[in-house]
Amino acid sequence: MKYVDEFRDPDKARALIAEIHKLVARIDLCRVRPLQVMEVCGGHTHTIFRYGIQHMLPPEVELVHGPGCPVCVLPMGRVDDCVALAERQGTILATFGDAVRVPGSRKSLLQAKADGADVRIVYSPLDALRLARDNPGREVVFFALGFETTMPPTALTVQRAQAEEIRNFSLFCNHITIIPTIKAILDSPEVGLDGFVGPGHVSMVIGSAPYQFVPERYRKPVVIAGFEPLDVLQALGMVLAQIAAGRAAVENQYRRVAADAGNAAALAAVHEVFELREFFEWRGLGSIDHSGVRLREAYAQFDAERRFAVPNVSIADPKACQCGEVLKGVIKPWQCKVFGTACTPEAPLGALMVSSEGACAAHYQFGGSVRINAPANGKAPVP
Amino acid sequence: MSNDALEALYPFLHGVRQDGASLETRLLESVRAKAEDSVIVKRRFFEENAERVVAAAKTIAGSYRRGGRLIAMGNGGSSCDASHVTVEFLHPITAGRPALAALDLGADRAMLTAVANDVGFTHVFVRQLIALARPEDALIGISTSGNSENLLAAFVKAKEMGLATIGLSGGDGGRMAASPALDHCLVVATDSVHRVQECHVAIYHIIWDLVHSLLADDRGAALAGPKR
Repeated sequence: MKYVDEFRDPDKARALIAEIHKLVARIDLCRVRPLQVMEVCGGHTHTIFRYGIQHMLPPEVELVHGPGCPVCVLPMGRVDDCVALAERQGTILATFGDAVRVPGSRKSLLQAKADGADVRIVYSPLDALRLARDNPGREVVFFALGFETTMPPTALTVQRAQAEEIRNFSLFCNHITIIPTIKAILDSPEVGLDGFVGPGHVSMVIGSAPYQFVPERYRKPVVIAGFEPLDVLQALGMVLAQIAAGRAAVENQYRRVAADAGNAAALAAVHEVFELREFFEWRGLGSIDHSGVRLREAYAQFDAERRFAVPNVSIADPKACQCGEVLKGVIKPWQCKVFGTACTPEAPLGALMVSSEGACAAHYQFGGSVRINAPANGKAPVP
Repeated sequence: MSNDALEALYPFLHGVRQDGASLETRLLESVRAKAEDSVIVKRRFFEENAERVVAAAKTIAGSYRRGGRLIAMGNGGSSCDASHVTVEFLHPITAGRPALAALDLGADRAMLTAVANDVGFTHVFVRQLIALARPEDALIGISTSGNSENLLAAFVKAKEMGLATIGLSGGDGGRMAASPALDHCLVVATDSVHRVQECHVAIYHIIWDLVHSLLADDRGAALAGPKR
């Protein structure tokens, strides 16, 4: 496929990997401990596992899988709230597909659907608005989640709903922002990172300026990356090049899609429709100040939390669940006590096993199971 | 416009401070709401569990009557509570109430670190019970989740050794509420850790008071001598 195959060229990949090996040889810190580079975005996690990128890197480079999967960081209590909305009489709950299997404390949306709730999978918030138009006698609630990437389509949909005076449409807003989260990770005492592969599609909206605080305040490089394997490898090389040169800056590997200035129209819509919440709970990370948004007062009629009573209870994760440690990069998926045993894609305990962008699901799917069966002598088994 | 949008989305990057007046209003409202929550949680707990609290106090008083002591344990904030309840018994602030023997299993950091390092954190309280506890003692364990492995293990050992066992828990009670090793489990049924802890403080203060009332009865009877 044009514009896809070029970014998966194995010869170019080998050249990039060779360059990474050369850079590592120049970095003194590698002789003391592995470098830790976090890929923030779940899409990058998926690419890394799908193409086995972590196995191509020298052992001195360790990839830490960050919390950039909005489904994975959704607290159980919010899932319960969404299930409660779905179970309201006469409600159609419209949701993206990867959210239907996230377990709540009682059930997932999929289980609610099996129990009789009208839960429908959509590919865009505009699909949800169409449902509202086509079903004027029913309340349609759209389960709005995602980072800055999906805020603009949600915002534009709300603006359209207002313009068309659609009265039976609302959204349950769980949009979150990645920038305060990167700061929270950098401030976390358990986490020691050397650089970041920055989220490509978030950057398409916000540009590169919001990441400046990372090199300025924390002296860590950030390279915004695309999602093909060569994108990720090139971005990793750019991070390592900065470390080797003793520099820290924001660089953009994904200029073909993400302009440094971001997308002004998208930002304008987001600014018009959303305002910051004081704090928002992230599964596994706790509350992060100013990391979530809600609808502004002018759009309150479209806010499901203001229109309907939701339980709004904070639910603790199952004791065995170690999603939080995986999200912060403290442990790898296979180091979780229940990975592959009590927690599988068929019966997930935690959200990281549900979404395809979750580190655990990606690792489970793309051949990470060899680590589960590693023999006691510590050597990796022959697959 | 993009700068305005980015400034609104990420105020911490732009040194934007919150409006003083609205912040003050929100903070005051937060104080009132949380205080109200705390009152509601406590009121509901004691309305539903007054008899259980009295029963737990009678058990502890019974241990003291047999010459036993109160042994307390907890992790994190609950470790502070264990220390707090211990000092209440050891150092009564009310005149006329005698000091009663109490022991905090979280107090000896050398012991805690030795067992945690050599054996595992699950055993930090068990090992101390094995060395220190006697059958006439009472063990109180405090946990907001009710699922702390080291407390659960200690309750099992304590029951084997013949101690009376009391638990303070939260949420749905966790595994402590279901454990047959506990004679009493007082569960503050809310998911807010802070509200659970606030209620735990009220519970053990009240238990302390009840224990002294029960033991004062004994002392009064002893002073009065046999009825003629």
